[in-house]
Amino acid sequence: MAAPRTVIPIRIDHGACTECRMCYVVCREIDVNAVVVAPDPLHRFEIEMVRCLYPGCTACLMYCPAPGSIVETESGRSLVPPPPDVWTEDRRWARGIP
Amino acid sequence: MKRPNHPLVQEFLDAWVYPVGFSGPGVEFRLRMTERCLPVWNGATARALKTGEADQRTPGDQWKIERALAGYALEGPQMSIKQMATQLLSIPLLMQERYIDLQRIRARQIWDEMKHGQLNADVLLRGGWITREEELMDDVRANAQDNLAYFGLTSMFAHIHPLARAAQNYFVEAIACLSIAATLQVVHDPLIRHQTRSQQLEERMHFMEGKYQLDAYALTPEEQAPVEEAFDFLLKPWATRMNAAFGGRAREMGG
Repeated sequence: MAAPRTVIPIRIDHGACTECRMCYVVCREIDVNAVVVAPDPLHRFEIEMVRCLYPGCTACLMYCPAPGSIVETESGRSLVPPPPDVWTEDRRWARGIP
Repeated sequence: MKRPNHPLVQEFLDAWVYPVGFSGPGVEFRLRMTERCLPVWNGATARALKTGEADQRTPGDQWKIERALAGYALEGPQMSIKQMATQLLSIPLLMQERYIDLQRIRARQIWDEMKHGQLNADVLLRGGWITREEELMDDVRANAQDNLAYFGLTSMFAHIHPLARAAQNYFVEAIACLSIAATLQVVHDPLIRHQTRSQQLEERMHFMEGKYQLDAYALTPEEQAPVEEAFDFLLKPWATRMNAAFGGRAREMGG
């Protein structure tokens, strides 16, 4: 992974998200655990910025199927499908033979 | 010289296939398999467009009925039972912990497929071609499909391995995604558009499940072998038939 850089807040847009849980699964697999099931009546997935590493980590974006469902909070820029600048080689998680 | 991809295929590749979250042998394996899939993906896209254009020009409702009956046979209860058998039961108890999130995703897909079956029933009900879903039990077209590669036990029996299913998620669901994109480009009938649009994101999610499994888990030659064997089967010219719901026509074409 790349050296730590300034974290930019991102969020799930529930108007576009289908709650498929791909982001949750990916985030758990790499042990970042920033995608959580919100403890509210709807139990929707949310991103907790205390743990999220975006833009240093962009793994969840690569497996999200729903256009516009993860966005940069301030700019509103859609990150799904992932724009080319967010899946550069230095942001990929090395996945070797165990 | 390599032929250029169909524009819809290229768009799909750039948006959903090539972006990667990992590096390593899993990704390299997936991209190698992608190259094998591309001729079929391109052919399926062109075929779905051609069929959609022909359907659009066809007077009457028969083509809509055929699409919906075939879609009901392909998805819905039949597929869900097959999914249960070939996906959930392909993970031995001792490996459940490692693949528990995959199990949850696969359980969700069973629900998705039931919904897709209901969407096709909905086309037939809203079109007035049946009055109750139970009538479909009397029509073999709604209950049989001859696609060996489509999640059937035929293709999976020799590959009871937790990751073999990734090949189907990747190869077959990409065809679903591309066929839906092609159909939506040329078919204007509101019932057919509703049926395809309402499953579009779910088919892409199923594709993503395959992509993720290959990138994250298919790392060793031992893990890749059963997946590649499943690809070998899927890519046999007689194994994959495009269902009429996705722009194919019964018995007139191979993969």
